[in-house]
Amino acid sequence: MQIPQNRLRNFSIVAHIDHGKTTLSDRLLELTHTIEARQMTSQVLDSMDLEKEKGITIKARAVRLEYTADDGLVYGLNLIDTPGHVDFSYEVSRSLQACEGAILVVDAAQGIEAQTLANVHLALREGLTIIPVLNKIDLPSAQPDVVIEELESVLAIPREEVILASAKEGTGVPEILEAIVARVPPPRGSPDAPLRALVFDSHYDPYKGVVCHIRLEEGTLNDHDVIRLMASGAETELLELGVFRPQLVPVKTLQAGEVGYVATGLKNVREAQVGDTVTTVARPAAEPFPGYQAAKSLVFAGLYPVAGPDYPLLRDALEKLHLNDASFTFEPESSVALGFGFRCGFLGLLHMEIVQERLEREFDLDLIASAPSVEYRINLTGNREQMVVDNPARFPDVGEIDSIEEPWVNLGVVTPDRYIGSLMELTTNRRGTFLTMEYLDPQRVLMHFELPLAELIVDYYDQLKTRTQGYASMEYEEAGYRAANLVKLDVLVNNEPVDALSLIVHRDRAQTTGRALTTQLRKLIPRQMFEVPIQAAIGSHVVARETLAAMRKNVLAKCYGGDITRKRKLLEKQKEGKQRMKRVGSVEIPQEAFLAILRMDEG
Amino acid sequence: MEDPRRRQREDPRLTVGEARPDPDPRPPVALYLHVPFCVSLCPYCDFVVVAGAAARGPAARIGAFLEALRAELGLRADALDARFGGPSSGSRPALASVYFGGGTPSLLPAGDVARLLSMVGARFGLARDAEVTLEANPGVDERGDAGALAGAGVNRLSLGAQSMDEALLRRLGRRHAPADVAAAVGEARAGGIGSVSVDLLYDVPGQSLEAWDATLRDALALGVDHVSAYALTLDDPDAEGLTGPLGDHLPTRAGARRWRAAAVREQDEDVAAAQYRLAVKRLGAAGYRGYEISNWAGPGHESRHNLAYWRRLPHEAVGPGAHAFDGAVRRWNAARLDGYLAALSGSPPVLPPGGSESLDAAGAAAEAAILGLRLDRGLALAEASGPDSPLAPHLDWALGAGLLEAFDGPDGGPRLRLTTDGRLLSNELFARLV
Repeated sequence: MQIPQNRLRNFSIVAHIDHGKTTLSDRLLELTHTIEARQMTSQVLDSMDLEKEKGITIKARAVRLEYTADDGLVYGLNLIDTPGHVDFSYEVSRSLQACEGAILVVDAAQGIEAQTLANVHLALREGLTIIPVLNKIDLPSAQPDVVIEELESVLAIPREEVILASAKEGTGVPEILEAIVARVPPPRGSPDAPLRALVFDSHYDPYKGVVCHIRLEEGTLNDHDVIRLMASGAETELLELGVFRPQLVPVKTLQAGEVGYVATGLKNVREAQVGDTVTTVARPAAEPFPGYQAAKSLVFAGLYPVAGPDYPLLRDALEKLHLNDASFTFEPESSVALGFGFRCGFLGLLHMEIVQERLEREFDLDLIASAPSVEYRINLTGNREQMVVDNPARFPDVGEIDSIEEPWVNLGVVTPDRYIGSLMELTTNRRGTFLTMEYLDPQRVLMHFELPLAELIVDYYDQLKTRTQGYASMEYEEAGYRAANLVKLDVLVNNEPVDALSLIVHRDRAQTTGRALTTQLRKLIPRQMFEVPIQAAIGSHVVARETLAAMRKNVLAKCYGGDITRKRKLLEKQKEGKQRMKRVGSVEIPQEAFLAILRMDEG
Repeated sequence: MEDPRRRQREDPRLTVGEARPDPDPRPPVALYLHVPFCVSLCPYCDFVVVAGAAARGPAARIGAFLEALRAELGLRADALDARFGGPSSGSRPALASVYFGGGTPSLLPAGDVARLLSMVGARFGLARDAEVTLEANPGVDERGDAGALAGAGVNRLSLGAQSMDEALLRRLGRRHAPADVAAAVGEARAGGIGSVSVDLLYDVPGQSLEAWDATLRDALALGVDHVSAYALTLDDPDAEGLTGPLGDHLPTRAGARRWRAAAVREQDEDVAAAQYRLAVKRLGAAGYRGYEISNWAGPGHESRHNLAYWRRLPHEAVGPGAHAFDGAVRRWNAARLDGYLAALSGSPPVLPPGGSESLDAAGAAAEAAILGLRLDRGLALAEASGPDSPLAPHLDWALGAGLLEAFDGPDGGPRLRLTTDGRLLSNELFARLV
C-alpha cells in the first residue's frame, strides 16, 4: 500500500543495553499487527542467536509498521533498529542518519548510561527529534522522578515530553505510537530529484547477492533501474526492490522518504558498505551523502584453528561471514606456536568476540585467538618511512626503532559516585589520564578519561564491570596517536622465541608482565626430559626467568593381562598428544598451554 | 630337606625365547580366574570388584558366582578342545600357571578353590609343578586359611599389603594393620605356601620418602620371596571409555572419584621418582632381582604367571572383566556381574558378554617390544635393531638420552634394557613405539 510521504515516519530507538529497546520494538510490532502476538518468538528483531543470548543488537534491522492513528489515517512507520554497542558507533550514526526521529529509552531504575549519552549526542548531531521514554516503570526499584530530573539536567529534555512506559506490560506504548506520528516530522525529499539513498545496513543472500538496506532521501527507485554505489563505484542492475514487513516483501517502486531494500546481485559486501550512497546510473545524483567512512579496524588478533587441519574450514567460514559483515578484515598469517591462521581486524573488542563466537557456533570451529593488539606506528631510524604494525611478532628489532606511536581514545564512564576512587585507580594504572567529571544526579557521575586503546582492549571493560558490580557503563572514541615508551616483550622457551606470546608493553611494566608470563608458562608447559629455561626478554635483555625442572617419572606401574590393551591405548593417547603438540625448538608444548595463557590475557 | 621356597628350574615354556609378536592362535599356557568380591572397596582401586552384601552374609552371591565360573570354565574348555584338541591330546600343553586374582580370592572357601583346581586339571591339564597363585588381603577376616589353601593346591600367595604404615593404610581405605601383614606371611609359611609375595604402593598422598623407606624395611624384614612395588596410579576408567555395558571396568563411584581427585593433587612426581630409586636400591641390596619395572624376586621366585603376560604367551581367562589372549586376539569379559551371572546361569549356559581386539603385525610388534623392555632381560639387540622392529628408529635417541643401555646376555649375545632412568621415563620411549 502506497502511503503518501507526509504520512511516513522514520525513527530509531536508542537505548543502553538491557534498557528495553528490543521489548519495546516487539510491542510496537504487536500493536500495529505487523506480527501477531502468538507469532512473536520474543524479540523478533534480534534474529541472530548470538544477539538473543548476549541481549544486544549487533546488526541494524528495519521494519515497516502500518499504524492507524487516532486521527483515523494510516501512517507508515519505519523502525530502524540500531546496534547497541560502543564498537558499532559508526553503524549507529548511519542508522540515525536514515531517520527523522529517535525514541530514547531510559531504564527508570538505572537512569542514563554512558552509551545513552553517546547515542543521544549522535541523534542530536543528525538533527533528530527525540521522544524520551522512561521504561520499566513497573519495577519496584524504578525512580521516575530522579531519572526525569536527570534527563532534564543532563540532556535538557523537558519533563512534560517524557512518556512513562513499561514495554513489558504494554503500558505507554499507544502513547509512544501517537507521539511518533505527532512529533516526528515526515521526510521531505523530492521524489522527482535524482536518486540519493543511504545504505544503513546490508546483508548477503546466496541468491540475491548483497542486499542493501536503504533510506531514500531524494528521488525514486524502480525495480528495473541500474544503480551505482557512489563510494565504491560499483554498478549493477538491481534484482529486487522491497520493504521489510519484517520479512522482505518486493515492491515495484520506492520513493523519497521511504525505507526498504535493494537486492544488488553484488558478490562482495565491500562494494556496498554502510554509509554508501545509492543513485541511478541513468540520472545520477551530483553529491553522495557526507561522512562516509570505510569500516576501520581498531583491534587486531590472530585467529587459529585449534586443530591444524581445520584451517581450510576457517578460511571458508571467514569468507562466508565476511559476506554479511564487511567490518572485519582478515589475511593469512602463520605462527610457530599456533600454526596457520588469519590476522583479523575488528571494530573493537566486542566485535572480535562476536566474530569469534559466530565462527565457532555457526561453523562449528574450535578457535584460539592470540592476544588482541592495536595498530602501532613505528618511526624507524635513519629517516625511513613510518611502519604500521598490528602484530607484535612483526615488530622490527629494537635497534631499528626510533620511536613508537600508539592510538589513544577518549573514554566516557558513567558510574555511581561511590566507585570514583576505584575507577580512577583502574584507569591511571593503565596509563590513563583523568580529564573531567560531572554529576548526572546526586549519586551518579560522568567521568572523562584519555587512555591508550591498547590498555582498553585487554580487560578494561571487564574490570570496570567487576569493580562497580556492573553499575558502570562506558563509551569511547578515537583520539589520535601519541608517542609512547613501548617495548616488545618476547617470551623464550629453551632460548627460542615463541612468536604467539610476544607482547607490546609499556617499558615500566615489562618486568611485571614478563614475570607473570613466565610463571604461568612454567605451570602450563609439561616437564620435558631436560631442564627448560623460560624467559621474558626485551631484545637480548632478559627481564624474567623461570626454570622448568626435567621430567622425573612417566611410567606405567602395572602391566598385566587385563592392562595390556588399556595401557597400549593410554600410550597411543600420549603419542597423539605429542603429535598435537607444538614444537618450539626441542620443547613440546601442548596447544592447551597456549590456549590457557592467551585466555588468561583475555580474562 | 629342600627349602620349599626354593623352586625348581623355571618352566622352559615361560622363560625361553623372546616375547613373541607371532599372530598364530595357540593354546594357553596359563589361566587367570577373576574373583570379584571384596569385604570393602578401596577408593584407589579400579579392578572389577563388588563388595558389601554381595561378598558376605546371607545375601552373598559367591555361591552363584562359583557356579557361573565353573560354567564358563567348561565352555572355554569346550572351545579349546574343539580348536586344539583335548588336554591330553598332545597338542595342548598342560597349564604352567593358574592365578586367582581379584577382588579378594582369599574370601573363597579353600574347598571351593580345590574343586576349581580339580576342574581346571581335568579340563585344561595342570602341570605337576605348575605355579598356582592366589591373591589375599592380610586382614584377619579376609586372608583365609593358608594351610587349607595350600592343601587345595595353592603354592604362591600374593598379599595386598600396600603399606606398612598404619596411617597410610587408613588413608588408602585398607582394612588391615601392618601387624596383619606379618601375621599373614607367618601363616602362609606355616601353612606350607612355597612362595609369598607382597604388593606395596608408593607415590601415595602424604607418603614421605622416609615413610616409604620404613615400609620397604619392614616388608623386607618379613623375608618375603617377591615384592611388587607400584606407583599409585589414579587413571580414570570412565574417561577411557572402559565402563560401558560391555566394558571391562565398572563405573567409578562418586566417593572414589572425589578421593582420587584429591589424591592426584597431592601426588608428587619428584618424590615418586625418588621413592622408586630407593626401592631399586633397597631391594637390590637385599638380594632381590628387579626382573620387571615394578617387580622384584628372590632367586627362582619370579612370577611365572606374569612372565607369561610380558612374553605375550597365550593365556585363558575366566570371570568378570578377565582378559584372555590366544597369540592373535585379546578377548575380555564385560565387568558387570549381573550380565555375567545371567549368561552363565541360563540353561544352557552361554558365554558372558564382552569384547575382543586383534592386533595387526605392527601393533603386535610394538606390544612385544614394550613388554619385553619392561623386563630386565630386555631385548636382543639384533631383533631390536632389525628392519621390522618398531624400536629401531628410536634406538639412537633412547641410547643417547640414557633411557636404554646395551649389555651382554647370558649367552653372550648383545642385548638392550632400560636403565633406571629409562624405567622411570619408559612411557616417553613406549609412546613412540605404538
